[in-house]
Amino acid sequence: MLRRRAKPWLYCAPALMLILIIIVFPIAYTGYISLTNMNLYHWQDYEVIGLGNYARALFKFDSGFLSALGTTLLWTVLNMAIQLAAGFLIALGLNAPGLRLSRLYKTLLMVPWAMPAYISILLWRVGMFNTELGLLNKWISALGFEKVDFLAGNGIAFVSCMVLNLWMALPFMISTIDGALQSVDRSLYESARLDGAGFWTQTWKITIPSIRPVIAPSAVMTTFITFKQFDIIYLLTQQRGYMTGATLNTVITYVHQNAFASNNYGLSSAVSMLLFVIIIAFSFATNRSLRED
Amino acid sequence: MKKIIAVLLSVLLLASLLAACGTSDEPAGGSSAPESAAPASEEPAAAPTELTVWHDGDETLMQAIADTVNPMLADSGVSVTFEKRTGLSDQLKLYGGDAANGPDMYLWAHDSLGTFVAMDILEPLGNLVDESVWADYLPLTVDAGQIGGTQYLLPVYFETLLFLYNRDMWQGEVPATTEELYEYMVANTDTAAGTYAVVNQHSTSYNVSPFIYGFGGYILDAEGNPGLNDPKTIEAVEYNKKFADLEADGDYNTVTTLFNEGKAAAIIGGPWLVPGIRAAGIDLGVASLSDMTLPNGSPLAPFSGVQGIGVMKAAAETNGGAIALALEALASPEVGIALAKAGGCAPANSLSYEDADVAADEIIAAIERTAETAKPMPNAAEMNVMWGPVDSMLAAVNKSGQDAASAAEEAQAAALQAIADMQ
Amino acid sequence: MKRKTKKRLGCAALNIVFILLCFVTLIPILYAVSVSFSGAGAALSGNFSFIPADPTLENYRAILFDEPFMLWLKNSLLLSAGTVAVAMLCGVTAAYACSRWRFRGRRAVLRVLLVLNAFPQVLSLFAYYRILRLGGLLNSHAGLILIYAGSMCVFAIWNMKGYFDTIPIEIEEASRMDGANDAQLIWKIVLPLAKPAIIVTCVMVLITVWNEYLFATTFLLESDYYSLAGGLYQLQSNDYTRSWPLFTAASILASLPLLLIFFRIQKYMVSGLTAGGVKG
Repeated sequence: MLRRRAKPWLYCAPALMLILIIIVFPIAYTGYISLTNMNLYHWQDYEVIGLGNYARALFKFDSGFLSALGTTLLWTVLNMAIQLAAGFLIALGLNAPGLRLSRLYKTLLMVPWAMPAYISILLWRVGMFNTELGLLNKWISALGFEKVDFLAGNGIAFVSCMVLNLWMALPFMISTIDGALQSVDRSLYESARLDGAGFWTQTWKITIPSIRPVIAPSAVMTTFITFKQFDIIYLLTQQRGYMTGATLNTVITYVHQNAFASNNYGLSSAVSMLLFVIIIAFSFATNRSLRED
Repeated sequence: MKKIIAVLLSVLLLASLLAACGTSDEPAGGSSAPESAAPASEEPAAAPTELTVWHDGDETLMQAIADTVNPMLADSGVSVTFEKRTGLSDQLKLYGGDAANGPDMYLWAHDSLGTFVAMDILEPLGNLVDESVWADYLPLTVDAGQIGGTQYLLPVYFETLLFLYNRDMWQGEVPATTEELYEYMVANTDTAAGTYAVVNQHSTSYNVSPFIYGFGGYILDAEGNPGLNDPKTIEAVEYNKKFADLEADGDYNTVTTLFNEGKAAAIIGGPWLVPGIRAAGIDLGVASLSDMTLPNGSPLAPFSGVQGIGVMKAAAETNGGAIALALEALASPEVGIALAKAGGCAPANSLSYEDADVAADEIIAAIERTAETAKPMPNAAEMNVMWGPVDSMLAAVNKSGQDAASAAEEAQAAALQAIADMQ
Repeated sequence: MKRKTKKRLGCAALNIVFILLCFVTLIPILYAVSVSFSGAGAALSGNFSFIPADPTLENYRAILFDEPFMLWLKNSLLLSAGTVAVAMLCGVTAAYACSRWRFRGRRAVLRVLLVLNAFPQVLSLFAYYRILRLGGLLNSHAGLILIYAGSMCVFAIWNMKGYFDTIPIEIEEASRMDGANDAQLIWKIVLPLAKPAIIVTCVMVLITVWNEYLFATTFLLESDYYSLAGGLYQLQSNDYTRSWPLFTAASILASLPLLLIFFRIQKYMVSGLTAGGVKG
């Protein structure tokens, strides 16, 4: 009996150990630093000073943070909605019977995934969006229109960042959904067809409910990644020396700009811990999609 | 729900225990580590000592330094190797106090010196070598390596922005005033066709410094106070905007590519651009920004940056003797000469200029000339947080059309907040 | 007859849609390929064409032979293989346990893992430094593998558990009666059936390793140990060598190995479920 109860934990043990060291320890460590006065002037001789940093950290969650939070939510919702919808439609198309080249298409659509992320971002920043070197502007001027600075205004920069994010993230969504579609029991369709259900009815009644639990984990993970997305917005619009004038901020870039630039690790750790709490709260809101049994 | 919290709490508790062990271990870890990793230092001086210098610069330049210094040190058994570390200042935050894994010395621009001194990871040079070692150095470079009167950085070479132009494209003389320059730009710029008279990274603090300091404004004063909303700074930023409108998108890749590919007749940039420009086959002309005057009669006054070598405190404790020998070798005029030949770097040691080739180098002469009006970058720890707010202000004014005064107020507030956050 | 034409028309439309879609997706890549084969001037010329006017291999030569590209590639492959092995070993066993057995605290653990994933990993730099130094793993691939595997572990568990849940338990029960133990069950039955999820998870882990440059350039002290992403990151950050055609050539070269892997695994992507006839 004891062995039976211990066995699942035994199976989970390696993973949990790894997670304890690599994920939990850094969180705890950040928590510890947040209670100290570790900053440039106390770099190696820092000591615990209590909750003082938290009192200061609260001021970082000001109106600027709220607007960044709004941007982040909009960013996450739009990206996820488009990703799921587009990913689903494309995967469905790839699985259409009679599409002989589907494997080729699938591979081609995966190509952006193979490119290291920061390389993709730089490639788009210079190769696509740039006013002088960018392909998009070359086409625009070839058509006789005025050049567009895709990263300057907040609105247009948001869309540009989103296009890039979709370009980078869709391959994963497509292949996950594609994989999930393979798990659907074919016999369900046959019986549905016998009942006279059309393609869209089958999709709605069988496909979506069947793949939901399979893609839910990926969808939730992607939501987190999208929420936490830093590189795209930072590298496209606000890297030092490359600021484009857009003042677009997500919570992470906002906190980076306002709490990390000063090298006060005690303070920025306190901000991180509070941010972590906020993200946890956010995750409970998305929890509903994870009802697995 | 309750269960989740319970598990979360217990996991966190466990982890914080782990963290506590990890941190209380630290002094022990710090003292035991050198035994395993750096045994060479404790042996007599005859044993070979390899000193590592971290840098984030050009590897051919570093090779030139190493090739000059190592033969001089051959008898003492000391040798110097340079290792490139991208994101050097972040890396030094981790490894600066780590005797086992960190470097013995670093080579980097002087504006981050204050940060490292505040972190207390640098050894004053006076504890290792005599002051006479840098007696022949240009005063500007020596001053840049001091914090509170203590010398922390042994200068190696220095840089300023220059007016670099394509001789095949530039018509006539290089203008003597910024107003004439502006007229030339208006007449010779076609943004729609993508051809420009002058390009500059017009929204980057470093590249706008010639205007800011030329107008008498400042980014950070000697006491570490930001001056972004100083009327003269604002005036300079406004003045820069009129140029920015004709200077393409001011990002590094764009402006260098435009110039290297003959789409821009001139670029305001540092000597580090020169190898790329030469490789692109451009007939390069060079002028000093000090020879160009603003409407107020003052010459342009760019930042000067001094690349210097600092010694890590942790390394000085164990390797002090070897490091002192290395510093003396690094201070020899031959290092400056080698650098000047390798990449047009202006040596910090005035004796290097006695070499005929160095004296004849057009780029070095222009940098030296510019040094007369150049403003050494502030090296206080506060400088580290200034770049962000200044860049934001410039981008807001140049790219989003925000008016300079309000952008300056916002940037000043951000800078003050960032400085307050440091403590 | 009519139905057949309709079907054919639909198929043609679908093909057109996919061709367009692929083209749009590939524009940046085609652009990069074109620039990478051209000399210095091409990036700016007004009338850009996808076929370079004056093709040259110089950029590729420079990356492949002037830089330790092959060494970095080898390191990347080593890191990838190690990370995939560690992450999958930990992930599969945990996912199997969480999918097959309803034990106390299972749901709580799964939820907590997900929540932990919300912590921005960039902030862990200092903590990782402490751990690696304590374990003597600085400047070693093992240390990085640990970090990479640990950060992908939660994803691996969740992703595979979701798929394991769809595999009917009856299949296993039949084998269990034949005397198979857990390891055999997982290896012979569950893994083949969960192939799509396994592959997607592996690819995701692989890509993480392939992409990561910050930890690689921070925790490896010699550039000879760098991964491809780390090495190229260091290359492009250097003012002196930043050349646009060179950069595009490097980005193509960095993507090629993964693309080859994608091609290779395409045929394994078909699920064991659809192929194997689980239910009649």
